Amino acid sequence: MSTTFPRVTETFDCVRCGLTVTTFGPDGERRHHCPACLHSRHVLDQAEGGPSECRAAMTPISIAAPRDGGWRVIHRCTRCGQLASAPVHADDNRLILVRMAVRPLAQPPFPLETLGNL
Amino acid sequence: MGSVTVMPRRKPGRNRPQRPKPSLHAPGADAFRCAHCRLDVPLAAPGTAHRNHCPHCLTSLHLDRDVPGDRRAACGGRMRPISLTTRPDGEWLIIHECAACGTLSANRIAGDDNPLPLIRLALRPLTTPHLLASDPRLSPGSAFPGIPS
Repeated sequence: MSTTFPRVTETFDCVRCGLTVTTFGPDGERRHHCPACLHSRHVLDQAEGGPSECRAAMTPISIAAPRDGGWRVIHRCTRCGQLASAPVHADDNRLILVRMAVRPLAQPPFPLETLGNL
Repeated sequence: MGSVTVMPRRKPGRNRPQRPKPSLHAPGADAFRCAHCRLDVPLAAPGTAHRNHCPHCLTSLHLDRDVPGDRRAACGGRMRPISLTTRPDGEWLIIHECAACGTLSANRIAGDDNPLPLIRLALRPLTTPHLLASDPRLSPGSAFPGIPS
């Protein structure tokens, strides 16, 4: 990557939907995933630290809401199964985010109506 | 331990048997003690061969690395549940985050897991809508997007 251009012009292609995405989001933070489909690429080794040689696509599987604010997306690598988390950006696809957040409640493993009797 | 009430579960039949998990607890032990709430937890869990978290507070320990029961993680830290995800067949998995090293891991819920912390975990993104509340397109303070409070 040439250093003569400002960093704001850097882009990457989404590993799943092929969208050309600016590397830095509107808030100046470096993106970890495509804002349209929320998929990511496995380039960081979470267990060992440092770069990963996997480079497979990582699918978003859930939303974590830490106490100190900010939603985080949990990704799972489709090839090696490693999990990673990344903060949500302001222009991420709201439909996919909310769909992931409510997905467990759509198919509860126990009848939710019995919770009202407790 | 007192009587444990197991709620009925809506789970489809499993078509593949789980791989056995070698018991690497103390020899002869049939229970372990939760690192968080100190509950005595029996090793046998209904619905799963891989008991890895406390059914009461859902806390786990960072012991396994790749395969359940391999005991190859050198960390040993406490793992707190941070979120829930589902498999395509609707089964729930708890995502744990190690408090010591930040590693994430996923584990299926067991048949005797406490439903209240499970539901609280499932609702946590909806009750803390930090991102959605900051969206100017949505009404501020609304717990649910698009629905005015």
